[in-house]
Amino acid sequence: MESIELAKRLEGLSTLKMVQNKLNVKKSTAIKILSILRKEGYVETFGGGKKPRLYKISPIRIAGKENLGLYDIINKHSKIKIAKPVEHKIMDRRLSVEEALPMAVKDGNFRLVLASLGLFNYIKDWPELCHYAKKYDAGRKIGALYDVAKTIIRVKRMDKRTRNALLKSKVKNKAIVQYARTKDYKNIEKKWNVNIPFNNSDLMRYKE
Amino acid sequence: MTDIKEQENIFNLIGSNLKKKIKCYVIGGSAMLYYKLKNVTKDIDIVLCSENDRQCILNTMKELGYAERNPKILYVNKKNVPILMQRGDDRFDLFNRTIINLRFSENMEKRSKIVYEYGNLIANIVSPEDIIILKCATDRAGDRLDAGSIIKNTNINWNILVEESINQMNLVGDVIPLSLYEFVFELKEDLKIEIPDEFIKKLEIKCDNILNERLKKGTTVRVTKFKHKK
Repeated sequence: MESIELAKRLEGLSTLKMVQNKLNVKKSTAIKILSILRKEGYVETFGGGKKPRLYKISPIRIAGKENLGLYDIINKHSKIKIAKPVEHKIMDRRLSVEEALPMAVKDGNFRLVLASLGLFNYIKDWPELCHYAKKYDAGRKIGALYDVAKTIIRVKRMDKRTRNALLKSKVKNKAIVQYARTKDYKNIEKKWNVNIPFNNSDLMRYKE
Repeated sequence: MTDIKEQENIFNLIGSNLKKKIKCYVIGGSAMLYYKLKNVTKDIDIVLCSENDRQCILNTMKELGYAERNPKILYVNKKNVPILMQRGDDRFDLFNRTIINLRFSENMEKRSKIVYEYGNLIANIVSPEDIIILKCATDRAGDRLDAGSIIKNTNINWNILVEESINQMNLVGDVIPLSLYEFVFELKEDLKIEIPDEFIKKLEIKCDNILNERLKKGTTVRVTKFKHKK
């Protein structure tokens, strides 16, 4: 059977056992088939070690997979992982953590913003973060989220110059996530004049 | 002929010269390049969301040395033809929502799950199912072969094709399921492409119902090659 036919038949997320059952073959044959399909770009592998090894099989092999996108950066660095609603790739430049954070905040999706808090610990260039925060119209939102992140996870220290620049920046919309507001971070909300969407319990996922 | 690398270079060039972020949908052969279903394409087909966006891209392309060409050369006897731009061998077809007799629907937008950012140009790649539907509309030389290649190399959700053709009929008024039926029937008969009988049967029943309804209402449909299976 041709590789594409196999990939079409096995499409989806499978374990080795499932591949064996679907094709009605021995374990060694299933391993061989998966190996061939992976070489041809039809298979991505996840897990292993203590977790079960999962094979994501798809007959569609998209171009530009090597480029990073917003969801790739967040899933690489943050403790909270998110499912990709779309395959997002930045093609003209290498997406940095400093740019990904304001980009996620601008998107305004609750899960995306929550997962992006984990990126604060990977910020190396604070002026670059400030530059992108202003570019994506999220200056004070980034400052407020940094203070929120600091209450629950270990983050690197933001330099005072960046902090002041973020405090002085203007945002068009106070809401980080539309219609979401908390009572738990009133002091941070007051200081940065934005609406924090998370409760304390939302952030507990970082402690698990 | 344009390959994926050239196409990416062109998108990068346009994206870096655009003054504001513009969202576009890549359709046809250029979308197939991203799915690795084709190595080269004759032209780059793009759908813009508004006339403003189209004019914005048009001006940027003119600055980059592209010249406007008469679309009637390629799209003979077709309405809603695109703006044709050419620079050397690179050819661009810029559509504004309407592609010949189809409308780029909201459902098509939702189904496009791949987003590439080239500076200010945000290119959304349409799903394989929608590429087939749109190929059915343009119906140029090679479109049937392209559709055959998509069907051979991907797992097509046939229900989407039926639903979208009916949705298109509500949007544009033409009997799109009939065009689709004719298109897939020829694929099956002439190119020997494996298409599920259930799908063809379903489409056939839908077409029959639509035609009977039209007949009752007293409205007629222009049919060129409709072959009824006995």
